Amino acid sequence: MSDNTSHPPILKLRNIKRRFLLGETTIDALNSISLDIHAGEFLAVWGPSGSGKSTLMNIIGLIDSPTEGEVHFDEQDTRVLDDDALTEFRSRKLGFVFQNFNLVPVLSALENVMLPLQIQGVAEHEARERAAAALVDVGLERFKDSLPDKLSGGQRQRVAIARALVVDPKLVIADEPTANLDSENSRMVVELMREMNRARKVTFVFTTHDQRLLDHVDRKILLRDGNIVSDEVMA
Amino acid sequence: MKNMIRLALRGMMRNRRRSLMTLLAIAFGFSAIALFAGYTHNVYDGLSRQSIHGEMLGHLTLSKRGMRKEGRLDPERYLLTATEVAAITKLLQDEQHVEMVAPRLALSGLVSNGRASTIFIAEGIEPEAVVKLRSGSLTEAEKKSGRFDNMWMRLDAERPEVVSLAEGLVELLHLKEGEQAQVLVNTLSGQANAADITLGKGFNTGNAGSNDKFAFVSLVLARTLLDAEGRADRLTILLDDKNQTEAMRDRLLARLGAAGFDVEIMTWQELSDFYNQVHGMFDMIFGFIFSIVLTVVVMSVANSMGMTVIERTREIGTLRAIGLKRSGVVRLFTMESMLLTLIGCAAGLLITLLVRWGVNAADISYIPPNSAGRVPLLIDLDIMRTLFTFLLMGVVGTLAAWMPARRAAQKDIIDALGHV
Repeated sequence: MSDNTSHPPILKLRNIKRRFLLGETTIDALNSISLDIHAGEFLAVWGPSGSGKSTLMNIIGLIDSPTEGEVHFDEQDTRVLDDDALTEFRSRKLGFVFQNFNLVPVLSALENVMLPLQIQGVAEHEARERAAAALVDVGLERFKDSLPDKLSGGQRQRVAIARALVVDPKLVIADEPTANLDSENSRMVVELMREMNRARKVTFVFTTHDQRLLDHVDRKILLRDGNIVSDEVMA
Repeated sequence: MKNMIRLALRGMMRNRRRSLMTLLAIAFGFSAIALFAGYTHNVYDGLSRQSIHGEMLGHLTLSKRGMRKEGRLDPERYLLTATEVAAITKLLQDEQHVEMVAPRLALSGLVSNGRASTIFIAEGIEPEAVVKLRSGSLTEAEKKSGRFDNMWMRLDAERPEVVSLAEGLVELLHLKEGEQAQVLVNTLSGQANAADITLGKGFNTGNAGSNDKFAFVSLVLARTLLDAEGRADRLTILLDDKNQTEAMRDRLLARLGAAGFDVEIMTWQELSDFYNQVHGMFDMIFGFIFSIVLTVVVMSVANSMGMTVIERTREIGTLRAIGLKRSGVVRLFTMESMLLTLIGCAAGLLITLLVRWGVNAADISYIPPNSAGRVPLLIDLDIMRTLFTFLLMGVVGTLAAWMPARRAAQKDIIDALGHV
């Protein structure tokens, strides 16, 4: 384990509860969860289906708000931010990797990676250069002009990782990034994320079902029924 | 912005068949409006020429104030005197845009072939003025076609007794060109006054209602018949530019008022009831067609964009997650809709030009209501209304996407990401 915990946490969750109303039934997806995530951590959240992993990731990724509790990101209390401010916050400080890759099918690999930069208003020339460099980092420079449907699942997920990293985020959220990949591609994707974590000091939080991938992490949090059952820092 | 346009353009290409159908609806709708606007433009232009030159209203008609309302009952009072005619004509001829000032004198009475009589309504006008007024009546293409040769009538400056009767009147009296007839008219003081006339070339008024009544006589003969030497009931003013009509009316009124003349000046549009009625009718039909087409376009675009938004819900969730604001989502889809509408309108413009060329080349003619002859079916390019349609359809097509785009933007990110 690195000395990541010596740094102030970039994300603080305090007494997070998330309740969903399904018809007349109330479901407590998260029960009073408190958690600190430090800069540079490579952290996995794991647990059985329905344990609240995705709900937790959505709250960490600021795309969902807790029913109760506080989320502080980079010392900013996110409760005071309105939708536009939260969006701006996500744009600059967070990267997302989705289970289904979620690339825009009509844009090439390079254009997909340029997208978050252009949303930020970065000039096209600079966005193109930075996106090309990000594709080099994930080993896909040869495929920069390919449309997503011409790429394999592993390659698509690497484009998605490049898209997440191109904005130099503080934290990358990856919800089941290997769920749609075979074991070889899963291993490669996790190794790539690990490499980026080490080389660029980017914090990664991802969820997984796959026990084998947990061997690569610094810290693993086991969730069950919306509660943290264990928070284990690896040696 | 460039990336947004690229994304919008490529978004359009995702469901090509649907985009094509929407595009065709816009294109054909646009061309329907543009073609009808072009047709009415041609009709308005033809009618304006018919009024100004064919009916010889000129651009402006000057008369003593009250002449139009009270002149028939008290002509003596409302006719311009010989001195007034000369002074006003001199003043008007100094004006820059005035090409010609023609004194006119209307009269009515009976015309007889010796066996039968019928009423007639005539205009007394100088033969030279007829030639000048009529010179702008037809376009070069219309003159070449020969279809309107029967519209031309002639008065003879050397022979004031030569009268040009409308074809219907000639037919009614069984007269032939060169034959003699008699006219009976009341003078201004109410005395009966008769004269022999010689039948000149007949003409077609272009209007079934007046083709059996109307006649042109020389101003000299009219003045003789009415015993109104040097007088006129009005002055017809021909300008060198139709667009100067309103401005010149105001200017001339001011000048004449300052010179002490109590006159009124009417424009050709104010005098031509037929032009105004046709204009009003076509404007209403245009508005009706425009509303229907616009509704079809709005429905097509809204439906197309509604489907697009549903299909791309997950993409919207992704874009929102990586930093696109709600306003950005609205912008993206309205941009897509705007491009679709503008491309559709551009295609519609192309269709318009092709159809216009085809129709104009086909030499089609028809008989409009209340017309005594065939007229060619021609389509102009009404630039103003075409441009207006282009812009309005662009705006409305863009706004049609606003509701679905807004609905997409309001969608919860997690729900959008989980959309299947």
